[in-house]
This record gives sequence, C-alpha cells and structure tokens, in this order.
Amino acid sequence: MNSQEFRNNLLLKRPRYAVSRIPVLDAFSEKGSKSADYSRFGPYYEIYIYAMMLGIKKKQRLPLPPRDLTKDFIEMGKWKRDSSLIDFLLMVIFTQTDNLQIDWNELEDMGQEDLNKVISSVVNLIEEYANGGLAYLEELWENGKLDNSHYMFIDLYNTSSNNDN
Amino acid sequence: MASIINSISFKNFFNYYGDYDTTRYDFEEGVNIVVADNGAGKSKFFNAFLWLFYDTVLNSDDKRTYPVKDFAVKIISDKAKNETLMGDSVETGIKLEYSTGRYKFQIVKSFIATRIGEKLSDFDSWQITLNDVEVDKTDHVLPKYKPIYDAEEKHRVINQLILPTLRQYSFFQGEEVDKMIDFTKKSSIEDAVRTLTNISKYEDIAKIVQDISNKAYNDLNKQTKSTSDHNDRLESAIELKKSLEIQLEQENEKLNIQKELYETAEQEKNDLEQNFANAEKRKELDDKISQKSRVLRGVKEDYDNFLEGINSRFFDGGFSWISLGFERSVVDFKDKIKDFRQKRYEKRALLNATENPNDYFTILPSDSPDAVTLEQMIESEHCHVCNRSAEKGSDAHNYLLKLKNRPNETDSTRDFVKNDLEDFFGNLQINASPFLNKFEAIPQSVLRTREKELELKKRLDKLNSELKTLKARRKDILIAGTESEGADNASDIINQYKGSIRRIEQASGRIERLQNNISELKTKITNTDKEITSLRPKDIPEGYTVSYEITQDLVEATNKAQARVFDKMVSLLESHANEHFESLIKYNDIKGGVLSFEKTPSGGISLDYIDELGNDVSGASEGFQRMKKFAVVMAIISANTSQYNYPLLADAPLSAFGKAFNKGFFEAIPDVFPQSIILVKDLYDKDLDGKLTDLGQKLLESNTIRTLYLNEVDEELPQIERTTKIERRK
Repeated sequence: MNSQEFRNNLLLKRPRYAVSRIPVLDAFSEKGSKSADYSRFGPYYEIYIYAMMLGIKKKQRLPLPPRDLTKDFIEMGKWKRDSSLIDFLLMVIFTQTDNLQIDWNELEDMGQEDLNKVISSVVNLIEEYANGGLAYLEELWENGKLDNSHYMFIDLYNTSSNNDN
Repeated sequence: MASIINSISFKNFFNYYGDYDTTRYDFEEGVNIVVADNGAGKSKFFNAFLWLFYDTVLNSDDKRTYPVKDFAVKIISDKAKNETLMGDSVETGIKLEYSTGRYKFQIVKSFIATRIGEKLSDFDSWQITLNDVEVDKTDHVLPKYKPIYDAEEKHRVINQLILPTLRQYSFFQGEEVDKMIDFTKKSSIEDAVRTLTNISKYEDIAKIVQDISNKAYNDLNKQTKSTSDHNDRLESAIELKKSLEIQLEQENEKLNIQKELYETAEQEKNDLEQNFANAEKRKELDDKISQKSRVLRGVKEDYDNFLEGINSRFFDGGFSWISLGFERSVVDFKDKIKDFRQKRYEKRALLNATENPNDYFTILPSDSPDAVTLEQMIESEHCHVCNRSAEKGSDAHNYLLKLKNRPNETDSTRDFVKNDLEDFFGNLQINASPFLNKFEAIPQSVLRTREKELELKKRLDKLNSELKTLKARRKDILIAGTESEGADNASDIINQYKGSIRRIEQASGRIERLQNNISELKTKITNTDKEITSLRPKDIPEGYTVSYEITQDLVEATNKAQARVFDKMVSLLESHANEHFESLIKYNDIKGGVLSFEKTPSGGISLDYIDELGNDVSGASEGFQRMKKFAVVMAIISANTSQYNYPLLADAPLSAFGKAFNKGFFEAIPDVFPQSIILVKDLYDKDLDGKLTDLGQKLLESNTIRTLYLNEVDEELPQIERTTKIERRK
C-alpha cells in the first residue's frame, strides 16, 4: 500500500455516531429544526468535527455502543470539500500514537490486513473523541449551562483547556 | 394686566389618575413646555381647556367634540373606574388657577360618576352627575379664596382667561392654524381686522350717513315736485337715475355672486393643493420607504448570514478557529515526522549496505581523481592518473564516464519498505499549512468577528429606526389626508384642480367686467345727478340742496375712511407678520424673501412668500406653510395697539415643523404672548437617557423657558393600570 492508497482507504471511511446523540447533533446543526434556540453549525460533519476536537481537548474518549445502535454519515473525504481541513485533523489524530498504539515507521512494514486494522483504529479514535465531545456538549445543554450567544462555540472551545498541553 | 395661568391640576381625568394634588402643573409667566410622547396626555391636557371654555372634549379617535356630559364615562381614568366598586362613586375634574394683576381665580369643573353596572367602559354602567362649576376669587393681599355665586360673574371670570373673540388665535391644536388663517376668504381677513380695529364703528357710521343721505335725497325730490309745476326733463332724469341705481344694485349683486364663486373656487384650489402636495409627499415617502426597506432587507440578510457563518470560521482555512489550542499537536507532529524520516533513512541505508555492500560503499583506490579532474580527463580524452590517452568510445574513456556517474547508480529507486507512507505524512503537513500558522491570530480574529457583528448590528438598528421614522411620517400624512373625501385618486385631484383654476379665471374675468359696468354706471349716475341738479327749479329752499350735498359727501368720506382703516390694518399686519416670520425662520436656510399680502379680486388677501424679484418661493413644505400662518397669528396679536393680555395654549403646534423651525418658534413666542403653554412630542426621545432631544436639552438650559414638564406613561401596563406621571424638569 503506498501513500495514496493508504490515504484513499482512510478517507473512504464513514465514521459513526451513537443514535442516542441525534438530538444533540440536530440541536446544533442546520439539519435540525429551522427555529433554533442556539447558535448552530452547518452540516453534521461540522458539529462532529467540533465535538471530536473538543473531545481531544477534554481528553474525553467514549466508546460507541454496539453497531446496531449507531449510524454512519458521509465519508471523511467529503468533509468540507476543496479544503485541507481533513489534513489538519489527520495530523492531530496521527500524533495520538499512544492512543493508537502505533509507530509510524512500523506502519510501513505492516501487511495489508494489519494496516487496515490501523485504519479502523484511527476511525475508531475519531469516533470515540467525537462521542466524548458530544456527551460533554449534551451534558452542558441539558443542564442549561450553554451560554446562548452567537459565540457560544468559540467561547466554549477557547475556555476548554487542551489537556495535551 | 395679563391673565397668567398659575396651575392646572386634574382628578382622575383620563390617564391623569389621582387627586388634584398628585397631577398638577405649576406654570409661570413666559414659555412653559409640556413634553409628552403620543398617548402621554397632551390632548387630554388640551381637553381640560375645552371643558373649561366650552364644556366639551375632543375625542381623539374620531376627531369630533362631544359634550362632557355625554362623554363622561370615557373621561374618567380607567384605573379609577376599575377601583370603583359597584354602588360607589368616583369624582373626575379639572382645576385651574390664574391671576390677573390684582386678583387670583380658581375654577373647578367636575362631575361624579356612580357605578351601577359591571362593564367598566359601558356608558350604561355609570350614573353621571355634573357638579356646578366652582369659581373662587381672592386678591393677592388676602390669601383666602371666596366663592363667587353669581352665574354671570362666573362666566365672566372664565372668559377673561382668554376672550372668546381671541381664542381662535390663542388656543388651538397644530393643524387648526391652517384653517383659522385663510385670508383668501374675505371673511377671515375681515374677522382679523375687526378683532384688531374699530372698523365696525365705521361700518355703523357708513350705514347711518347713507340713511340720512337717502332721506335728504327723498326730501329734495319731494320739494322739487311740489315747487315745480311740470318739468318733463327733470322728471325723466330722476327716473333715469332711479333705473341706473337699480341696475347698479343688480350689478353689485352679480358681483357678490361672482366673488363668492371666486372664493369657493380659490378655497377648493387651496385644499387640493394641500392634498396634491400630500399625494406627492405620500408617493415620495412611499418610494423612500420601499427603498429603505430594500436596503434593510439586504443588510438583514447580510447580518443573518454573518451570524450563521460565525461557526463556519472554525473550518475555514482563512480563519482556522479549529486549530485554537492545538499548537502542541503540530509541534508533536513535526517531531514525529522528523523522527520517522530519520528512522526511514537509517533503515534504507542499512538495507542497502547489507544487500549490496560494494555498490553502497564504493571505495576508490588511492590517487583516484576528484570530480573536477575527472571532468577534465573526460573532456580532454586523456587519463592523468596513468598518463594514457582515453579516446571517446574506448574502454578507458567509458571507465572514466562510469567513475563520474558512480553516485547516480546507487540512487536507483527500490522498495525498502512494504508501505511507503512518507508522502502520506509529508503531504498532511504540507496540505494542512493554512491551519498551522494562525494560532496567534485567532483571538484577534474572534474579536474582529465580534466587532464586525456590532458594526452590522448598528447599521441594522440605524436602518430600522430610519424606516420607523419614515413610516411614522407616512402615517401622519395619512391622518392629515383623510379629511379630503373622494379625492384619493391622483388624476381626480388633478382634474378637480384644473377645474377650480378654470373657475377662478372665469370668475375673475366676470368680476372685472362687472366692476367696469359698475364704475360706468356710477359715472352715469353722477352725471345724471349733475343734470338733475341743473334742472332743479331755482326756488327750492337752499337747506334741502345743501343737506343732500353734505350727506352725500359724508357717505363718501365714511366709505373712504373705512377702506383706509382696512388697508392700513392690512399693511400693519403685513409688516408685523414679516417681523415675526423673520424671527421664526431665523435658523432656517430659506432667507431673503418676504411675506406679501396680495389683494384678491374677491376682496380677500392671498399670503405669498416671494423673493426680491417678486417670484414665488416654491418648494415650501407643510411646516413652512404653517409657520407662515403662525406668523400671521402672531401679527394679529402684536398689531393690537394694546398689549396682549392672554396666554397662548397650543397643542402640537410644531408637528409639521422642521427642527430649525422649532428653535425659532420657542424664541419668538415670548415676543407676543406674555405666557405660553406648549404641548409637544417633538422634543421627546425615549431612547435617550434624559428622554429629551438635543433641542429639548438646550431649551432646558435656555432662559426663555420657565418651566418644562415631561409626561410619561408606562406602556407596558394594561390600559386599566396606566397613569400619566408628571415630572418637572425645570
């Protein structure tokens, strides 16, 4: 597998989310109701990415429930087209070598099967961080701790310390 | 001495809830201002005086006046009504104090309402008993009021506050100024002149001397007949004169009819002009409103999009908010990729060395040439090491070439790992570069976003408030325009307008012809009279002739005197009006013109504003028209030979004026009125801290303003809870 194939295999993956997170996803994205009470993101992948990054900042990994209680959405390669956003996200994810239990150089010597497992665990990590971020948002939301302002998300993002640092 | 209103207070009168002492205005000589927004008690205040003078109130809903007795239930404060239990009573009234030089008067008008039904605003739920008007008097020496019992005396005290004949110039609501001064109507200018002069006495004298003259003429004719036996020529001359006089009378009648027609047409023209101007102004405002609404919609959309787009700044490489706080990850990545490459390099090197040590470690024998020498040797086809020729194509030359290209051979690409991921990691870093260098700029970018939002919001608010103002103005015009019936259609208005002008021209032509006829008839009559005189027998006693001649002279003299008084007063009014107008428009741009009083064919006066060349100054707004008329009101008052002794009570006199007019107005009124009480909303601005506009604040500091009140009503409350709060600011 060369670089291009590896990238393609990764970007064809469709991360999943727990069905139970649909209310929170809908509440904060435009896919939800038009008369929103809160500031919102556009498509699902935006709130998903935000939640994932928030999850990383808060070090909140939360495994997804069994597969039949989850749903997938568009493949990562289609998140924000014509943008290098995904490259940045993958940069952040691939620095999580401890969590992924990988060594970059070892990847180069793996067999097809093992490498696909690595790809799965990358997606898995994305899903768990997103789920953790969404759980955090949901908790704030349910307890009425969200500040209803247009700057709610950036303020929250700014004040959430990055535990990696 | 002038009548000065000292105070007015209300008891449960409309929104003025509470007893007299809680809702009281104290006033002073000079200018007094009551500032109130719409619905905060201006018209109610004005209504108190309508009650005082005429026992009526004006219903602001239908703009009609009703007797207090019939309207009482609506006059009582809703809050007071609500607090009155079944079977209980509530009192409603107004109390006014005013003083003249020596005396002070207090007038109370009130009624009692007893609740007999459930429904608050039902007329049947209340039994109304009007109380007798109470008038008390004191002189300034004795502080105690004594009641006046005599009904006529009470009436006189009320009238003395502002004499009934002068009330039209001293007690009015904004729009009324337009109607009260319409000098194109002969009656209007005559009214004014009559108010100001003793011209009615001249009219009386004219009538008396005309009677005497007629009598003298009849006596003379009787005498003529009795002394002369028969004189056909004299007889027929007298007959001729009689028939000429009948003709004259008929022509005069026709003239009056034509003058009336002229006046009606002129009136119609003026009304239509007003309407026409309104129609035009409505259109103009509609255009402005729709344009402003369009801009507003655009800005609103921008604003909404902007708000919607705030969160997209997380994912946009230009803003890169998502990278906030991930500096460490980037550094980490860079370390990792460096490490990765290092390990790869080592791995490859090791692999090469193991697999192909000779290729990898090419060790040249000692004395091997360096690269530059090698180059020279190839070029010169000669080996300097063994000093032999090495021609192109020979083995020796090929060996030299092989030596020179030696490093390239070892660079041959070959897989040394199963999965070459260097590009994968390398490209991540290259591609992600927009997100890697904005960490420090993000807080600034968030701040700028907030600023941009505020900017848009400010713009939006400004547009909203501008639009609101335009709509309010549009509404005001609508109200002013509702009085014209059936003239909504613009082409109707234009046709009617053209018709009225045609009729004015017709009437004016006829008036001129009739006036010619009349003057011809008059000449004929004079000539016939001369003939009669010469034909009269000489034996008539001189007394008859002389008496007739003298009375005729008297008639002429009186008529001339009357006309002179009239003209003189008109020109006095003209000069006073100009003086006042000058000070009223002091702060306006329109300058350099004069108000001119032009006589119309019907005997009225048309009021024109003309420039130095005698041309009409056009484009004058409604406010300007009203200001013009107000100047005349002030002229009527100041042209009075004696000092004007009555207060000015005006509700919303400024409603159509511009800001500059308002300023001029407040400075000019003390010149004429010893006291004025002006009710205005134009100085009110609920958005400002002090609730007063710039001009309001300035007036507060000005010496000419003696008192300034601010009315406020809590609009949040339901109607049955609302009360007008009076706050004295000065």
